[in-house]
Amino acid sequence: MTTEQSPARWLQVVIGWHLLAAAAALFAAILLLTGGGPAGSMALWARLLAAFLLLGWGMGSGAAAFYIYHRIHRGRTLSLFTNYLAFVFFFLAACQIMGVFLGIDTLANNIGRGLPFLLLAFIGYLIGTAADRYEGYYARQQQITRISQGIMVAGGLIAALAAGLLPGLINLLRQLGNPTALGLVIGMGICLLMLWLMGREKAAAALHAQTHHEAMINGYLFLSPNLLGFLIFFAGPLLLSLYVSFTDWDAFGTRNWVGVQNYQRIFDLNIATLSSPTQRADEVLDVTLYGELARFTIAGRSIIVGARDRLFWIALRNTVVFSLLAVPLSVTIALVLSNLLNSKLPGIKFFRAIYFLPSIAAVVGISLVWQWLYNSTVGFINYGILTVITFLNNVLGTEMADPAIRWLSESRTALLAIIIMAVWQTVGFNTVLFLAGLQNIPGDLYEAATVDGAGKWAQFVNVTIPMLAPTTFFVITTTLIKSLQVFEEIFILTNPVGGPDNSTLTLVVYLYQNGFQFFKQGYASAIAWVLFIVIFGATLWQFRRQQQSVSGVYDV
Amino acid sequence: MISPKLRLLTLLILVLLLVACGGNNTSSTNNTGAATNDNAAAANPTTPPQPAADIALRWRTRPDNQEEANVYATVSATLDQQLEGISLTYEPGGSETASYQDVLKTEIANGTAPDVFWIPGTDVADFATRGLILNLASLAGATSGFSVDAFYPGPMFHLTYNPDSMASGGASGALWGLPRDVSTFALYLNLDLIAEAGAPDPRELAANGQWDWQAFLEVAQAVHALGPDIYGYGANAWWGPYGTWMNAAGGGFFNEDRTACNLDSAESLAGLAFEQALYQEYNVAVPYGEDSEPPFRAGKVAMFQNGRWATPGTRTVTFDWDVVELPKGPAGNAGNWLFWGAYVVNGSLTGERAEAAWKLVQALTTAETQATVAALGANIPSRVSQEAFDAFLTYTPPANNQAFLNGLADSPATEGPLWAGSWPEYAPVMDAAVQALMTGSSTLEQFAATVCNDANRAAFSR
Repeated sequence: MTTEQSPARWLQVVIGWHLLAAAAALFAAILLLTGGGPAGSMALWARLLAAFLLLGWGMGSGAAAFYIYHRIHRGRTLSLFTNYLAFVFFFLAACQIMGVFLGIDTLANNIGRGLPFLLLAFIGYLIGTAADRYEGYYARQQQITRISQGIMVAGGLIAALAAGLLPGLINLLRQLGNPTALGLVIGMGICLLMLWLMGREKAAAALHAQTHHEAMINGYLFLSPNLLGFLIFFAGPLLLSLYVSFTDWDAFGTRNWVGVQNYQRIFDLNIATLSSPTQRADEVLDVTLYGELARFTIAGRSIIVGARDRLFWIALRNTVVFSLLAVPLSVTIALVLSNLLNSKLPGIKFFRAIYFLPSIAAVVGISLVWQWLYNSTVGFINYGILTVITFLNNVLGTEMADPAIRWLSESRTALLAIIIMAVWQTVGFNTVLFLAGLQNIPGDLYEAATVDGAGKWAQFVNVTIPMLAPTTFFVITTTLIKSLQVFEEIFILTNPVGGPDNSTLTLVVYLYQNGFQFFKQGYASAIAWVLFIVIFGATLWQFRRQQQSVSGVYDV
Repeated sequence: MISPKLRLLTLLILVLLLVACGGNNTSSTNNTGAATNDNAAAANPTTPPQPAADIALRWRTRPDNQEEANVYATVSATLDQQLEGISLTYEPGGSETASYQDVLKTEIANGTAPDVFWIPGTDVADFATRGLILNLASLAGATSGFSVDAFYPGPMFHLTYNPDSMASGGASGALWGLPRDVSTFALYLNLDLIAEAGAPDPRELAANGQWDWQAFLEVAQAVHALGPDIYGYGANAWWGPYGTWMNAAGGGFFNEDRTACNLDSAESLAGLAFEQALYQEYNVAVPYGEDSEPPFRAGKVAMFQNGRWATPGTRTVTFDWDVVELPKGPAGNAGNWLFWGAYVVNGSLTGERAEAAWKLVQALTTAETQATVAALGANIPSRVSQEAFDAFLTYTPPANNQAFLNGLADSPATEGPLWAGSWPEYAPVMDAAVQALMTGSSTLEQFAATVCNDANRAAFSR
C-alpha cells in the first residue's frame, strides 16, 4: 500500500490537475448561479444550464482525483472522460474565438490552389510503388522508398503552403495574443497531456486495469464522436426547442417566458350551436379570436367549431390525409415491384437501378421537373391525357372532353399531385428494402409450400408476407415518419406555399412559416413538439402492432 | 503506439485547420482582426500610427437572374475602387422570393448577415421594429447634400416613417434605407396573337384614352376565341396582380391609416368581382394559380401582367411583343403598384462600420449606379429625374417603355410595410382567400364574410 499513500510524480500531477479543475469548475458554477462577473450578461436559462454542466463536470473531476489517489481504476476512466470532454470544449471554443469556423470558407477558396501540387505527392507515391520491383535488393528498395517519401512530403508541404499554411500560422500566432484564445489553447494542451498520461499502459497498470476496462474505454472512445454529435446537434437543439416553445422568442430579441400559452393557442377550440346551418360564424363566435374550422349537423343540430389557430388544424388534417394516402400507396407499390424485380431475368439489375433513381435525386430538382409536368396549360401530363382522349374519341367515336386538370392550382387536386410525386420518389427506396427482405427468405420455405400444393398466390400470402413482416414494419415506420414531415415538395411545387387555399399546408410547412416568416420561433417550436408527439405516437403504435404481429408469426 | 496512418491523418487535420486560420474576407473575421489591431495599438501607444486598414463590407441584393448578378458584381467592383477606405464583397442572394428573406433572417439571428442588404418594401417595418436594420437618420443628417426628396416620394414615405412619432419625411428622425429601384406593372403583349384574333391594338387604345376594363375584356375575349388553350390574360398568383384590380376599383388591402383590413369594402370587392369573372365567367385567363409565364412564352397568352423585371426574359421570345399600361378601372386609374425595395444597413453595425455602410448605401443609389443597373432592362431608377426617365426610354425593347413611366405617373399605390401589424402574416391569409375566390372554391359573399376577420386576427392581434 506504499504506492497508494505516495503516488508516483506523474500521478500526483494528474490528481493535482483534477483537484484544481474541480475547484475551478465549482467557482465558475457559483459565479454563474450568482450572476457575478461576466456571467451577469447571460440569460438565466443559459447560466443555469452552464452551472449544471460545470458542476457535473467538476464532480467527475473531483471523483477522478479521489479514485486515482486510491488506485481504483474508475479514477482512470473518469479522468479520461472529463479530460476528453474538456479538450473537446476547449478545442471548439478556441476554433470559435480564433475564427476558424468562419475560416472554413477561406479553406474552401484556397484549397484549390494547393491541389495541383498534390500531384507531386502522387508522383512520389508512384515512385514508391516501383520499389516492389527490386525485391531482394534491400538497399535499393530503401533508397527508392526514401526518395518517394521525400517527394510526397515535399508535395504535401508545397500544397499546404500554396493553400495558405503560412498566413494561417501567422494569424494563429497573432490570435494567441488574445488572452482568452491563449487560455483555451493552454487548456487544450493540459487536457491532451492528461489524456496521454492516463491513456498509457503505465497508467493502466498503476490503476490495475483489466481487459474489460480497456474494452470499455475503447468502446466509448469510438462511440464518442457520434455521441457528442448527437448531444450537440440533436439532443441539445431538441431541448432548446422545448424551452423555446414556452417563450415568445422571435429569433432576435429576448425570450419571454409565456408558459403553456403557445400550446393553449394551438389547441384552443370553441364549439357553438348554430340556429341554422348557414348562420354566419361571426354571430356565434368571437371572430376576433376564433376562425371557423368546421360546421356540421348532428341529430338535427348544427354545430360550428372555431379554432384560435385554424391553420394548425388544417395543416394537421392535410398531414394526416397525406400520410394516409402516401404511405399505403408507396408501400404497396414497392412490395409489388420488389416481387417483380426479385427474379433472375437478364438485365433485372438495370431495372432495379432505374426504380431507385428517384430516391437519390435531389428533391428540389425533381420538384421543379414535376412542377413543369403538372402545368395545366403546357405541362406534359395534361398533354398526355389530351392525346389519349383524342385518340379514344377518334377510334371509339366518343365525345370525351379534355379534363384539363389543374393539378397544382385547384384545392381538390393539389394534395393529390403532391402525393403522386412523393410516392414516385419513395417507391424506389422501399423497393430496395423489400428486395433485401425477399432475398433473406429461405428458399426451403417456398419448396415446402410447393410440396404442400400451394400456388404462387398462396405462397405470397402465407410465406412472403409473413416473412417480410420485420421489413414491412421498418418500411412503413420510416415512410410514415417521412410523410408526416413532408416539406420540400410542397415548398417548391406550390405557389403560394401551402396553397391553393391552404389545401397543401402541412405541419412542417406551417411551422416553417411561423418560425422563419412570421418571426414566431416560440410558437413554431410548440408546433414542432406537437408534431414530435404525433410522430412518436404513430411510431409507438407501429411498434406495438409489430410486436403483436411478430409474436403471432412465431407462435404459428 | 500511434500508427503512421493516424499520425498522417492528424497532421492533415492540423494543416487544414491552420489554413482555415488564415482568416477570410468576411466582415466577421475582419471585425476580429480590427479588434485585435485596436488592442495591440492600445497596448503599445508608442507604436507609430499605421495607415488605417480598409473597412471590409459585405453587401447583398436579390438579382432575378445571373445576368443581373453579373451587373451587380461589376457595380461592386467599381464602387470598391471609388470608395476610399472601404473594400467590398458582393453576395448575390437567392432569386426565390420566399427564401431570400428567410435566409437573411436566419443569418441576422446568427450574426452572419451582410453589412448592407436589400429587402422588399413590405418587409421594412418588420425589420425596423425588431432592430434588425439601422436607423440612418443621424448619419444622413450629417451628410451634406443628401435629401430624401431625390427619390420617389412613395417609398421615401415608408422609409422615413418613424413608428414612435408616426411621422414621415426628412425631419421624422427615421431613415431605414434608400430605394434600390422602383418598378410597376405593365401588360406584356403578344402582338402576333392579338393581330391573329383581329382585336384592336391595346397600345392604340391606350394612346386614344380608350384603354379601360371593358376594352381589355374585349381584347381578351377575342384572343380566347382562337382556341380553348389560347388565353387573353395571364398573371401569377400573388398579391401584386389581384391588388391592381382592387386598387383600380377604388379599394385596397388596408384602411386609410393601414391599421385594419379593407378587403371586404365595396370597392375592393368590385375589383375582385371583375377579376373573378375573368377566371370563372369569361374563362379568358390562364387558370388562377398556374404559372402564366410558360404559356406566355409558348405564345398562348395575349396579355401577361408582370413587372419591369420580366423584360430581360421576355426579350428572348420569338413572337412580336411590346408592353402597354394596365387598363383604367372605375376609379379612373389603372390601380398600378409602385414596387420598390431598399438597401438597408445591418442593425448590429456601429461607429466607423456604420458610417462606411451608409456611404455604400448612398453609392449604390447614385444616378450613375442606377443607370448601370437599369440599362439591363429589369429595373427603373428610384431617383426622380428627367435624365433618368430619358435614359430609361432608350433601354429597348420593349419599344413602348413609356408604358412603365405612365404606370408610375398614374397615381400608383406604393407597396408598403405594415407598421401596425404583421405583413408576413397578413399576406398568406389574403392570398389563400383570393385564390379560393378565383378558383371558384368560395363565393364573393363567403369571401366578404370571412376574409377581414381572418386577416385582422392574423396580422393585427399581436
